[in-house]
Amino acid sequence: MLHTKVIDIKEKKLSISTAENFISSTDFGASIFFSGTVRNQNNNKSVIGITYDSHDELVIKSFNEIYSEADQKLNIKNKAVFIEHAKGYLNLGEISIIIAVACKHRDEAYILSRYIIEEIKKRSPIWKKEHYTDNESDWLKGNPIVYEKN
Amino acid sequence: MKVKIELFGASRDFSSHDSLEFDIDNNSTVKDIKSKIIDYLDNHCGGNEKFKKIVNSSVFCSDKNNIISDNYKITKNQKIAIIPPIGGG
Repeated sequence: MLHTKVIDIKEKKLSISTAENFISSTDFGASIFFSGTVRNQNNNKSVIGITYDSHDELVIKSFNEIYSEADQKLNIKNKAVFIEHAKGYLNLGEISIIIAVACKHRDEAYILSRYIIEEIKKRSPIWKKEHYTDNESDWLKGNPIVYEKN
Repeated sequence: MKVKIELFGASRDFSSHDSLEFDIDNNSTVKDIKSKIIDYLDNHCGGNEKFKKIVNSSVFCSDKNNIISDNYKITKNQKIAIIPPIGGG
């Protein structure tokens, strides 16, 4: 069971309770909620906000692939996964990403949650532009996506 | 033939618009498109080396949402996206 979405922050904010409603089931005994938020410091610079940019279709495709791979690589069959990522300008403390997972047992829930965020960092085309207290702003360097022949 | 390059992430600083558009020869490859973008940066962005580095470390995405190789041929008017190095979360 999977829910994925890129949320335009001008339209609504990400919500843990929405994630909780989605993954909640008596089939599962373990739930993990991961949220990423905008923090006030990076590389010794004072951050006031971040603009997130996204190639929405490719991001959703990558979320679906990561979910499917969890079946094969991690052998976690029964699971509920909720992934939402924000795009647009976020202030300090606002939520940029929610990954909520529910599994039968805690071991697989922890493994799955960690796997999803690490794969998103490597594969999902999302970009951050940090805004600083001195009115400067800069796109973060990021990691190149590697072309893999299908 | 025309190719439209949708800009994302750091490549958005290449232009005040959301995309670049180039006239290209039939069967031009992604590698050729990269050269076109580098020429554009020389002519419109003062040869900005930081921007050129972004192009050289980017991949491209087809209108069918597949990552495409440098050898991928453009055979019709098409929209592709430049995907600079990523870092969400």
